[in-house]
Amino acid sequence: MEIHLNRVDYIQVGVTSQKTMRLLPSSGKKATQKVAIADNDGVLSCFGMKKGEAVYLFKTLPGRKISRLDLGGAVGTPQEKIFVCCGSMVRGFTKKGKPFLAFEANLTESINAMHVSGADLFVCASYIYNHYCDCKDQDYFLSGDKINDITCVSSENLTRVVPVLACQDRVLRVLQVYQIYQSFFSFEIAGPPLYLNMSHFSTGEEIVYGTTDGKVGLVQIGEQSATAKWEIDNVKKKGGILCIDTYDIIGDGVNDVLVGRDNGTVEVYGFDSSGEPTLRFEHVLSESVTSIQGGCVGKDTYDEVLTVTYTGWVTGLTTEPQKAEVGPGNEIKMSKETQSKLETLRAELEQLQVRVLQGREQYQQTSQSSSALSGVPIFSINDKFTLCQDDASYSLTLEVQTAIDNLLLQSDVPIDLLDVDKNSAVVSFSECDSEQPNGNFLLATYRCQANTTRLELKVRSIEGQYGTLQAYVTPRLQPKTCQVRRYQIKPLSLHQRTHSIDQDRPMNRLSLVGQFSFAEIHSWVVFCLPEVPEKTPAGETITFCFCNTFLGTQLEATYCKGEGHFKSDNISTISILSDVLSKEATKKKINLNISYDINDDSVNHTLKMIHPKLEYQLLLARKVQLIDALKELQVHEGNADFLIPEYRNILDESANLLEEYKKQPAHLERLYGAFLTVILGLH
Amino acid sequence: MLVPIFTLKLNHKINPRMVAVGTFDGVHPCLTAATQAGKVFIHNPHVRGQRAAAHRLSHSSQDSDVCLLNINQSVTCLTAGQLGPSTVGDTLVVGSQTNLLAYDVHDNADVFYKEVADGANAVVLGTLGDIPAPLAIIGGNCALQGFDYEGNDHLWTVTGDNVRSLVLCDFTGDGKNELLVGSEDFDIRVFKEDELVSEMTENETITSLCHMHGSRFGYALANGTVGVYDRSSRYWRIKSKNHAMSIHAFDLNADGVVELITGWSNGKIDARSDRTGEVIFKDNLLSSVAGVVEGDYRLDGQQQLICTSVDGEVRGYLPASKDLRGNLMDSTAEQDLIRDLSQRKRSLLMELRNYEDNSKCVSDSDGMGFIPANTQLQTALAVRPATLVQKAHVELSISTPNETIIRAVLIFAEGIFEGESHVVHPSAQNLSGCVKVPIIPPKDIPVDLHIKAFVGGKSSTQFHVFEITRQLPRFSMYDFTAEATAAPPSGWVTFSINDRPQRVVMWLNQNFLLPEGVDSTEVTFSSLRGRGLLSISMASSGQVTLRTDDIDLAGDLVQSLASFLAVDDLSAEADFPGYFEELRTTLVEVDEFHSVHQKLNAAMADHSNHIRNLLVQAEDARLMDDIRSMKKRYRELYHLNRDLINEYKIRSNNHNALLACLKAVNQAIQRAGRLRGTFQLGSEPRRSNSAEAQLLVTPQWESRVPCFTFNLWVGTAAVTNPNPN
Repeated sequence: MEIHLNRVDYIQVGVTSQKTMRLLPSSGKKATQKVAIADNDGVLSCFGMKKGEAVYLFKTLPGRKISRLDLGGAVGTPQEKIFVCCGSMVRGFTKKGKPFLAFEANLTESINAMHVSGADLFVCASYIYNHYCDCKDQDYFLSGDKINDITCVSSENLTRVVPVLACQDRVLRVLQVYQIYQSFFSFEIAGPPLYLNMSHFSTGEEIVYGTTDGKVGLVQIGEQSATAKWEIDNVKKKGGILCIDTYDIIGDGVNDVLVGRDNGTVEVYGFDSSGEPTLRFEHVLSESVTSIQGGCVGKDTYDEVLTVTYTGWVTGLTTEPQKAEVGPGNEIKMSKETQSKLETLRAELEQLQVRVLQGREQYQQTSQSSSALSGVPIFSINDKFTLCQDDASYSLTLEVQTAIDNLLLQSDVPIDLLDVDKNSAVVSFSECDSEQPNGNFLLATYRCQANTTRLELKVRSIEGQYGTLQAYVTPRLQPKTCQVRRYQIKPLSLHQRTHSIDQDRPMNRLSLVGQFSFAEIHSWVVFCLPEVPEKTPAGETITFCFCNTFLGTQLEATYCKGEGHFKSDNISTISILSDVLSKEATKKKINLNISYDINDDSVNHTLKMIHPKLEYQLLLARKVQLIDALKELQVHEGNADFLIPEYRNILDESANLLEEYKKQPAHLERLYGAFLTVILGLH
Repeated sequence: MLVPIFTLKLNHKINPRMVAVGTFDGVHPCLTAATQAGKVFIHNPHVRGQRAAAHRLSHSSQDSDVCLLNINQSVTCLTAGQLGPSTVGDTLVVGSQTNLLAYDVHDNADVFYKEVADGANAVVLGTLGDIPAPLAIIGGNCALQGFDYEGNDHLWTVTGDNVRSLVLCDFTGDGKNELLVGSEDFDIRVFKEDELVSEMTENETITSLCHMHGSRFGYALANGTVGVYDRSSRYWRIKSKNHAMSIHAFDLNADGVVELITGWSNGKIDARSDRTGEVIFKDNLLSSVAGVVEGDYRLDGQQQLICTSVDGEVRGYLPASKDLRGNLMDSTAEQDLIRDLSQRKRSLLMELRNYEDNSKCVSDSDGMGFIPANTQLQTALAVRPATLVQKAHVELSISTPNETIIRAVLIFAEGIFEGESHVVHPSAQNLSGCVKVPIIPPKDIPVDLHIKAFVGGKSSTQFHVFEITRQLPRFSMYDFTAEATAAPPSGWVTFSINDRPQRVVMWLNQNFLLPEGVDSTEVTFSSLRGRGLLSISMASSGQVTLRTDDIDLAGDLVQSLASFLAVDDLSAEADFPGYFEELRTTLVEVDEFHSVHQKLNAAMADHSNHIRNLLVQAEDARLMDDIRSMKKRYRELYHLNRDLINEYKIRSNNHNALLACLKAVNQAIQRAGRLRGTFQLGSEPRRSNSAEAQLLVTPQWESRVPCFTFNLWVGTAAVTNPNPN
């Protein structure tokens, strides 16, 4: 069953964070709902639609950046009290906009996730979870890795409200309280979760999660354990999940899953008869979608999916059919509302232009004075630098609230910049002097087309070569400024955290003994490997497991004060580690006692792991080479019957082969490189 | 929104830019395109299975609508149109690296088949200037040739480099067509018959040209630029990261004015307004576009825009009906408008906020990158001769007057860097308030340098961006030398002008990087590209003498000075003994290559006879069950084959060398022409140099005699002034 939704733009607010828009419950049956939305300027606003015009109910004054918004209320009453968190404060507003709560959580860091349930308030800073009841401190929990989101499960089966944390180390932590002491069981998932929501399917014990690598899944939380129900893979590489909601937009009586991604995709998944989620609708907005909810906003009786994008556009995808407004006389009639809207906009623009001109003049005048300083406020950049598991490359996305003029990429390590189809910017590589004094290995400029607010790039790194990638973003905004963002390329950049490793593989070991503290060795590990929490973990010793996304080899790091053990089936990983660690230790003037235990089988094992991949790629390359010649033969002879089945097969599958070949540029060369480093690592 | 009215999937690859529509029987339009393996296919859905296969033509067994035409050489260009005066339908013209074939598809017969030594990279059909018969004009290796339907050569002239695109268009507005030629030296040249009337310099190879209307034409470059010229001034251009494969003029929104339709390498097709370049329609094919053409493919009296992809996908679009009102994109135009206005409002608000916060001037936060408000960037250009560590270059130095630092400098300029930009990003230890950028322009062209410098404090994360535009003078790679020590160059050009010496000094100052206070008309430069000295002197009589051994440079100087002084007609005397000596050896080489070529041809004919014999013998042996001698024969055949392949390699090397020499000769003619500085728009027609060249060179390098005639002519042209006007 396909659905068709039409896009309607409502209003634009400031730059928004994730989970900052909610629909207030409607008062009557099928009446339109009001929208509560908070932005990074600290403005909380609430509006409703009246005859196609957005009418504000209230709007607060600007303040600190609001990072989350949630609705709450006493149990049994409509959940229409609005809670926002900014900094370490939680504020409450009634639906009329009257503030009734200003609660200082007394956390050293600012709150980045919040959940409200009845009188209970759950807040999370980077690593700390805190629970308050009626603003009284109840309990807290220190997580092993960064907390991205929080939600709570409550149902009759569970005795009380159960908080669930989504942590950066790919774990959902389910907390349970026994008096003051907290124990938890965790549920491991495939990617770092970024979003959690109570689902509204059958019971309240299920939780939908979304990951930064674009997967959506459902888990059922039980008393002692959790079970996965389903997971939607991100085959088409559509971008990470930023928001999810469940709402019956299709109208078949079953709640559908609404998904918003960071590349602007909005999706609706329905459920078929077997209970499997299937994609029913897809729409691409130009910016990342920060919040999504199903409801009824624009017009009575028409359900819609309401989305908020990064730059603050509130957009509805409505089931209301679009009217064909072609009137007589071959003219498109613009509805009166839009016309008046346009006129007011134009008038506003003119006024603004006058004011801007004055501003410019004033700015010019200040440039004459010798004592004045000039500084331009920092504009916000929404950036993400993540490792893609499938093609073992990093993707860098940059999003600015106004159009980007140009981007300069500079790197002091050799990296490859890959072309992204969606990207329309004109890229130009500049000659660089890789030797001192400047030490640039990559200098590239992206000149963007008008109205580009989002840029996506792909970068391929080489393990063992480490340094920084810097992006200078210049938006099209007067007075012109540019901002630099730095991204570390770590020595073992292609490694990814996993939960466990296969112990049966032949392993090489590297052991370090020396006078170093736990914090020191942890900082070295953070320096070498991605996805390790920066905070020194609690406890005496710690173990992290990794796998190489390119070759599939593994690494286990176990360390404590004065001692560190690393084992991997890939000898080049071990050699890179020992190189970097000894360099780091020398910097701190710490004497390291390094011992190796090289397992000769491991080389064979790694080569065997590379072998099928290499063979497959070689075969693919050979087949692709043949395609053109075979096609020519086919045209020449009129048919392909005379060819041997193998060749006929290539011809039949030529489209697939070509597509696969195109998807993995230079894959073969990279494998050769990996092969060589393994051999070199031996010596 | 505009949707295709028909889509076809032809199971043939289509070579890029080799697509045409021809009504070969006078009624039914057929899509004709070059495909792999030296074939041309003709898609004719209107007349099914009526023609028998014969001669070159054969029916494709896959698809009954498609006929295949065997050319047996890789096709390099193709077009269709009216050529003969008495034929019913269109003639198909197919060019390859060595031949040109005009073919009557309807009668299935060759109209003519010509050997063209310079190859045919581009072809256009139509009338040119006062030549009454329609011509098939081909552009090859620096040469242009036009043939009428009998295969007679009506036009021969040379151009600066390999021709990549051709179009006929009434450039001067005199009611007669001129020929526009885009070539690999980045120039668009306009020929009025065989006389060069105008020249526009771009910054990449011109891959496509198309006539829009009147004197307006569209162009596409190899670096992804597409634009529109009106006469010699550019209207607009845009650049994309994709490459424009094909451009075509078509009135898609039915407003009476054609739009520029571009087919891109990523499969995108867009239609842009000819005035502004604004996109009014776009669509996507599944693979790279091969060609965009038009024709009445549905036979309903309306022209359709037909877009083809390299994989054989064909889409046809009808011009928009009236009620779409030119709104082809989407029905949500008003929403887009609101969105656009809101975006503008947003950015204005942000700008305003910037000014407000700037005046507040909170000076504590370090990341914001505060700089003194009166910071101004200084730029200077200077010529730096070669040192031990660095090649000779023009140095652009950018500096701040105070303690602020320059984090990075971006220079956007066309045609002087590998890409479109050059970046200087000093490492964190070497940050300072002064950045020196070496620039080595590869050609003598004036360039606008758009400089963006990121200025801030050492630890800032946000920088102020200073944007400055500087012009690099045309002849910046010449270093002023006060007194010349080396021997003066032997080559020279001299001509007289009726202008004050001050004007020449002004020209010198605008086009060279002179040290301050030089105001004499006697100057000497040394070329930073290592091409010796250049001296310019002007006598009080107005006699200007340029001394250099570089004939190209002399030509550029004459053209530049002539256009600066607005001289339409200039007669010059010149002699370049070094260059002419080189030319002479080249001509001798050409001759040698020719005789080798002929010898090899004779050898090949011998071999092929031999092969025929061997084959017959081998087959005879096989029929008579004499396996041993059959094997022997085939072995011999195998050896012979190997010899032939070897010979082929020699032949192709020889041929390439020959082509290189011919190119050099063609360029020599072109250069000699430039020296005389002809700027002749609308004045009385004059015998041009290329016309003379044609007289002397037409029997192309077939024997020793014409080569030397030409040689002598160049000599005399140089010494005396053969331009009595």
